[in-house]
Amino acid sequence: MRHEANIIILDKVAKIINQMLLYIAGCFMMAMIFLASANVFFRLFWGPVRGTFELMGYFGAVVTAFALGFTQTARGHIAVDVLVQRFSKRTQRTLNSINYFICMIFFGLVAWQIGRYATTLWETGEVTETLQVIYFPFTYAVAFGCAALCLVFLTDFLKCLLEIQRGQK
Amino acid sequence: MSLTLIGIIGIVTLLAVLFFLGMPVGFAMSLVGFCGFWYVVSFKAAITMVGADVWTTFSKYGLTVVPLFIFLGYLAFNSGIAERLYTCAYKWFGHWRGGLAIATIGADELFAAICGSNTATAATMGAVALPQMKKYNYDTVLSSGTVVTGGTLGTVMPPSVVLIIIGLQTEQSITKLFLGGILPAILLGILFIITIFVLCRINPNLGPAGPKTGMGEKIKSLTGIIEAIAIFILVIGGLFVGLFTPTEAGAVGVFFTLIVTASTRRLTWKGLISSVKDTLKISCMVFFLVTGAIIFGRFLAITRLPFIVAEFASGLTVSPYFILGIILLIYLIGGCFMDSLGFLVLTIPIFFPLGRAFGFDPIWYAIILTMVTTMGAITPPVGVNIYVVKALAPDIELGTIFKSVSFFLLACIICIVILVIFPQIVLIIPEMAN
Repeated sequence: MRHEANIIILDKVAKIINQMLLYIAGCFMMAMIFLASANVFFRLFWGPVRGTFELMGYFGAVVTAFALGFTQTARGHIAVDVLVQRFSKRTQRTLNSINYFICMIFFGLVAWQIGRYATTLWETGEVTETLQVIYFPFTYAVAFGCAALCLVFLTDFLKCLLEIQRGQK
Repeated sequence: MSLTLIGIIGIVTLLAVLFFLGMPVGFAMSLVGFCGFWYVVSFKAAITMVGADVWTTFSKYGLTVVPLFIFLGYLAFNSGIAERLYTCAYKWFGHWRGGLAIATIGADELFAAICGSNTATAATMGAVALPQMKKYNYDTVLSSGTVVTGGTLGTVMPPSVVLIIIGLQTEQSITKLFLGGILPAILLGILFIITIFVLCRINPNLGPAGPKTGMGEKIKSLTGIIEAIAIFILVIGGLFVGLFTPTEAGAVGVFFTLIVTASTRRLTWKGLISSVKDTLKISCMVFFLVTGAIIFGRFLAITRLPFIVAEFASGLTVSPYFILGIILLIYLIGGCFMDSLGFLVLTIPIFFPLGRAFGFDPIWYAIILTMVTTMGAITPPVGVNIYVVKALAPDIELGTIFKSVSFFLLACIICIVILVIFPQIVLIIPEMAN
């Protein structure tokens, strides 16, 4: 019972974090639209908005990374479930738990690696080409998005284990 | 173990992970690519490669085009543009035998011109057209088949998410791909209309004629398509004359649509939030598909498998069109068993170099692959459009939808044959833009 309560709390935390990240991603996407449109408009009459090219890329990175967890919770990623659906519920749960566990480890590693890269960018004071501003916060954002996805896989994995345990009882 | 064998084992492992674990395609490609790279080089090199690829792909300017065009489609969906397109087409063609089905294809064609997804096009038109066709006693074979296949126009007609993905994966100009898709999409639409016409000639009960409308009403209905045509001209016209990049075209298209739909109060807050959420979900899926394909492609590249396959095939003394036929057959069969977009991303690292080795024009080849990919979206058992229509009209049997799709598949095959015989249909507009 205590494990179940903990998993429910963890699930809620993961959902709140990913919902917040989704709203931030939405704001960045709107910023991309206005920035690119403004760049076209100003280029026609005065001159291009400096740094649009690089800012669009970094904003795009935040948009994607912050939507990773939400997309997984909404089961938005394309998967081939033709065969898996033919297995028994028990087998499906076991396969799902393996799937979630592998993905959790993988995205944990990816988050850690990108986080390390962001730290290197911070320590070396790396700046963008045109605007000459630091961009490591965007790299940290991508690492955070991957970590949020890792958290979703962790909760999915624990929920799957709980279901298997219930099935055995 | 030779590198080629490792590459083959990598592909087999990928298929096993995809089919037996049900792991999402993008994640599976990343994971297998990572493990393969680790095996061939080292863990440190593999994790560095994966981290760098995720960061560089996510922050690539070229990929920012994806959410913008998807958002454009969802805004059009949530602001009722589709209903007005359908009403207009209905007023003009509704009184013909099979006219509502023809109107659906016409509206599909126009909606596809502002929406880049076949699923979104099928879902939008299905919601609008299916109740109307039911009201006028259309046979479900014709109504469901029209909506399912009409959605495929969303993939071929620019802006198209599939064309963007092919462009990004193969480093081809997205602008040229967009321009190359215009005439094939129109041709495909015409072939669908001919199919409906022939079916209704053979069996008039499939699509009884609807009520007639006066010329005044017909002319008045044209106002409903003005904004869709304006968006298309702004986006594709701007690309054609080189006024802006594909990303900017997407942004300007969205900005214009937002202003028009918000000022006319057709876009509600709820519709906007829903559009943003759906866009983020689909874009994220597409981004990770591309990232996964890049990571898996790196692993394949170190095994040299794509180059060996291309060298082997180009050494064969058979007609390039025979090889093309085999490739298209593989796509058709593959599209039956897994999502066609996923299958395309998975196979491009192998089949695109192969096509280039046979001297196929990259833009023409990409359009042909897109056409066959769209067929995957309507072939059972994994035709995504079929399930979209089934969800919209649960009373229609899956068997009925499968049967109806078979008539339209013939039109798709004829379209591909015409494009193979007359490649200029694809190439004429990109060449004019040059």
